[in-house]
Amino acid sequence: MLNYLIKRLLWMIPMLIGISLISFFIMHLAPGDITASESAFNPKASEESRQKLRALYNLDKPLTTQYGLWLKRIMKLDFGNSFASHQRPVLWETKDAKGNVTKGMIQDALPITLMINLIGLLIIFSISIFLGVTSAVNQNKWPDRLITIIVFIGFAVPGFWLALLLMYWTGVTHSWLPISGLHSVGYEKMGHIAQYVDLFKHLILPVSISSLGGLASISLYVRNGMLDVLQQEFITTARAKGLTENKVIYGHALRNTLLPLITLIGLSIPGLIGGSVIGESIFAISGMGKLFFDAVLMRDFPVVMGILTIGSVLTLFGNLIADIGYAWVDPRIRRGISN
Amino acid sequence: MYFKYIFFLLILFNVAACSDKKEITYSYEGTFNNEKGGTLIDAMSGEPSNLISMIAGDSASSAIAGNIFNKLIKYDKNLDLAPELAEKWVISDDQKTITFHLKRNLKWADGHDLTSDDVLFTWKLVTDDKTRTPYGSDYKLVEKAEAPDAHTFKVIYKQAYAPALDSWASLQILPKHILKDEDINHTFFSRKPTGSSYYKLSQWVNGEKLTLEANASSVMGEPNINQLTSRFIADTSSQFLELIADNIDLMNINPIQFARVIPSRPDLKKKLALYKELGNSYTYLGFNLKHHPFDDIRVRQAINYALDKQEVIDGVLLGLGEPVSSPYKPGTRWSDKALYPYPYDKNQALKLLHEAGFSDTNNDGILDRNGKPFTFEILTNQNKQREMTAVLIQRRLKDIGIDAKIRVIEWASFVNQFIKTGDFDAVILGWSLSLDPDQYNIWHSSQQKPGQFNFIGYNNKEVDQLLEQGRTELNPDKREKIYHAFSKTLLRESPVIYLYAGYGLTAMNKRIKGIESPAPPAGIAYNSYDWFIPSTLRRNEITP
Repeated sequence: MLNYLIKRLLWMIPMLIGISLISFFIMHLAPGDITASESAFNPKASEESRQKLRALYNLDKPLTTQYGLWLKRIMKLDFGNSFASHQRPVLWETKDAKGNVTKGMIQDALPITLMINLIGLLIIFSISIFLGVTSAVNQNKWPDRLITIIVFIGFAVPGFWLALLLMYWTGVTHSWLPISGLHSVGYEKMGHIAQYVDLFKHLILPVSISSLGGLASISLYVRNGMLDVLQQEFITTARAKGLTENKVIYGHALRNTLLPLITLIGLSIPGLIGGSVIGESIFAISGMGKLFFDAVLMRDFPVVMGILTIGSVLTLFGNLIADIGYAWVDPRIRRGISN
Repeated sequence: MYFKYIFFLLILFNVAACSDKKEITYSYEGTFNNEKGGTLIDAMSGEPSNLISMIAGDSASSAIAGNIFNKLIKYDKNLDLAPELAEKWVISDDQKTITFHLKRNLKWADGHDLTSDDVLFTWKLVTDDKTRTPYGSDYKLVEKAEAPDAHTFKVIYKQAYAPALDSWASLQILPKHILKDEDINHTFFSRKPTGSSYYKLSQWVNGEKLTLEANASSVMGEPNINQLTSRFIADTSSQFLELIADNIDLMNINPIQFARVIPSRPDLKKKLALYKELGNSYTYLGFNLKHHPFDDIRVRQAINYALDKQEVIDGVLLGLGEPVSSPYKPGTRWSDKALYPYPYDKNQALKLLHEAGFSDTNNDGILDRNGKPFTFEILTNQNKQREMTAVLIQRRLKDIGIDAKIRVIEWASFVNQFIKTGDFDAVILGWSLSLDPDQYNIWHSSQQKPGQFNFIGYNNKEVDQLLEQGRTELNPDKREKIYHAFSKTLLRESPVIYLYAGYGLTAMNKRIKGIESPAPPAGIAYNSYDWFIPSTLRRNEITP
């Protein structure tokens, strides 16, 4: 098992280099660089100063040199600073001689996105399992049909449209929920409990909207898995033993249905750090999606590369965790690895 | 059986959601007295990047920095130059030396004295090659700058440079005592500034909001409104929902919201006041003058006659714009009232095209010359108004037998692959201009290298001469004559077709009082420090 782990971890290094190489060159295929942003189209800004900027960021050097410089930095886990005029560190905060802290861009955005996605994932999986089981137990009866129709409507409805309608209905017409942002304007002056309630209220709409689209695939996965399991002989045995229907379904069938879900959870790990650009813009949440999108539009290469690198590391780890999880719950796979 | 708990949780969601906000009704009408205090909340689409404005380039940064820092001189409500830190300025007879006399007892927000030393320091920063500023070129023309005493700052130019005063009206003065040992490109100061103007930074939550509070030692006096909070909301639909839910006090709105949505809703009309003001920018159709047939003045004039500008203004801006006939803001002294845009005249357009050798020889509805049909491509960037404009232009050109295709391109590609390489027939773009009439960078024939701004390739000796004269003449009356002559030639030659100057549209909650309407030339914000919020209209508790 340990050998297997080490082998897998070592394999990640060439994979990561390959991924970064491809991303780096594809990124540079897009025309333009940071000096072409819209604000630079200002008659007061001279071409010389733009050339100066290009030289400062090594954008005038050949691509291979630029990639080498980037790789050298990343080996020391230095993700560099943004090209934008704020020059914030890409990954983590830095401190100057006087003790002024500048927060990292990913450091600011990641916790927000992680929080929303983790809650979303939890909701998607718990509701989907419930819906899937209900569907399977009532196969081809009305609850099954109803659930299928509802999850597909949820899947098909454009999120931004539903978001705006819900924002208007809950925020403007009824004033039940805040409209956008994660905190109220007076958040700092609130007590602890009030702060949690405030955050909770702000999260309801964004989390619901982001979860809605995920329900369809997972619940159908559970439904079909459950249908397969219910035909197996051990279910017949369980029923023959005289177990209650609840015990048969939740104690025996569901457990076996959950196996393939482990892969799905593993594969969702990289998705946890990616936010939805549209969702984040509409709800005025400054998460990873908007950070990445803005960086691409501005051709802010260090930020783009930073997010891609962290994303690919997480994807590789997600795969590994899914495999390990599989081995952990399924003795047949465990034996295969040890051999 | 944990599914039951999920249901229970869902019910909890609902309960939490139902805690209704108390409905407060304000009476906005009546007379109110000037009062100090209160908080104004607005929304910004982008987050400021860097509050040192010589380094930042984005409008969000300059909007915030403008409340924190002062300049030597400023533009007043009629867009004339007026004192700010300097109480007066003197121009020498040879027009090469400008002496600024600073006001007495100027203080930074931290209590230090603000002197001419700070001004000199700021000039050195902006002209330093190590400073990452795109705006250094104006200040590098200064041959010598000196601060003979604490209240005098003197600049000597190699030769008279007319836009100099405009450049001193845009350079925000930075504190030497804080920045002298800092690397200006990477300094905490860009996010934690100390200024001298009406407000100082009180809080900046990344990605969320920024709050300014009144600066007690402001050199400008105390503003009425105590606190300004800007929330960063990227999506303008969300901003609008926040506005009508009373959570923000003002935002820039679009023509549909201005002309249709708000007037049709009595509840919104009751609490929102609408303002329009002319911005300092215009949208144009520009030709690549190096491509056939746009090198022919008759073709450009023909297209100018063929386009109905009022139709574009009505269709794209719902009438909320003005036609322009010179590259200057209508209503300012630089814009010549005697010039009128080309009228819509289809026959005149056809006549000019025939003179230029175009006719429909093969009866396919498209004009041709030497066997080649008159067809070209209009490029524009992803901007809804410009796209709609392009469609209207396409239709009008089809009327006279010109086949125009439209192509919409992402900004960075647009600039790099088409503008810089000169690989385009025609573009729809806009110019946002400074208040000085000098437009040497845009129209002078020497400014055509890749990356420079005369990318349409305009080349006219008379215009070159006028632009050179206008740059070295500091007398406003003489400059006015020069730039009127320049505008006249430009209009006749039609290297670009002016389409419209759109109004900036603002919706503001009526709790904000003291706004001048109709807007003066400088716009409604010129006296934002005199705006006030009567205490009866303030938010009782600040809700999201």
